[in-house]
Amino acid sequence: MKPQTARRVEVGEELPPLTKTILQRQIDCYSGVRPDSIHTDPEWARKKGFKAPLVQAMMSTAYVSQMMVQFLGEGFVRGGGMSVAFTKPVLAGDTLTVRGRIKSREPEGGRTRVSVDVWCENQDGVMTMAGTASGLESDPRSSR
Amino acid sequence: MVEFKTLSYEAVTIGEEFMSDDFLVKPEDVDTFAYAVEDHHPWYFEDSPFGGKIAHPTLLGNQALLMRHSKYIVPAGLHAKMQFEFLEPIRAGMRVRSRGKVIDKYERRGRHYMVTQFETRDEEAGTVLVRGQFTQMIFPASGVHRETTNR
Repeated sequence: MKPQTARRVEVGEELPPLTKTILQRQIDCYSGVRPDSIHTDPEWARKKGFKAPLVQAMMSTAYVSQMMVQFLGEGFVRGGGMSVAFTKPVLAGDTLTVRGRIKSREPEGGRTRVSVDVWCENQDGVMTMAGTASGLESDPRSSR
Repeated sequence: MVEFKTLSYEAVTIGEEFMSDDFLVKPEDVDTFAYAVEDHHPWYFEDSPFGGKIAHPTLLGNQALLMRHSKYIVPAGLHAKMQFEFLEPIRAGMRVRSRGKVIDKYERRGRHYMVTQFETRDEEAGTVLVRGQFTQMIFPASGVHRETTNR
């Protein structure tokens, strides 16, 4: 399967966003259910000051990875990476939109490394995660 | 025999090393992860350009993140930053282990943080699959910092 992007996405342009409504059951699968957990124990989360269990921040890195695999394919799986900061909590039931905007293209060992500004916003438009992700372009049409 | 201590800013030392248990990546782990993050890309279930199925690049993030649980009782904490470098695809059937080291700890605006560098390897082949670092906020014994309850 080739990367989904049909044409070269230019610097400054956005990638197709992903939207995720995060269910408690998905958090349970991701984090593993245990008592006294801010992720999977609603009462414990409330005791710690949160309205609902927190989505494990790491789940947002999986969403970024999904967007980048769709964009770059092999060049993200082998040779990709990301550096992100989690800026606001995400709660069970929240809907996140995962976005990316092409930041730069730089030559790297005969290939091209594409850097993408990435971020997640919740249903209220609040940014919950921000950073950069990058990978190697594999489509020869993209390295012109 | 491991003597577990409760994690605190004072207890953590720079240079301290962590190691996860080894873990056999199973097809059901890939399946569960796909459900959890809603990502059923065909490379994880059919075939990939790497030859055969692979797993999600971030599948083993929690193995690295939870290394400190092999030494400490961790009451709670917030994940502040994450860096990944994906070097080789992860596959079901690999027996993997993460090793890490605390490279910094600091206080900022009254909050305590620790920074851990890690590497996750396929234990049988010795191949490094993923490396990176993460920053975690250590909760005070009293519970959560007030500013984090922002909703």
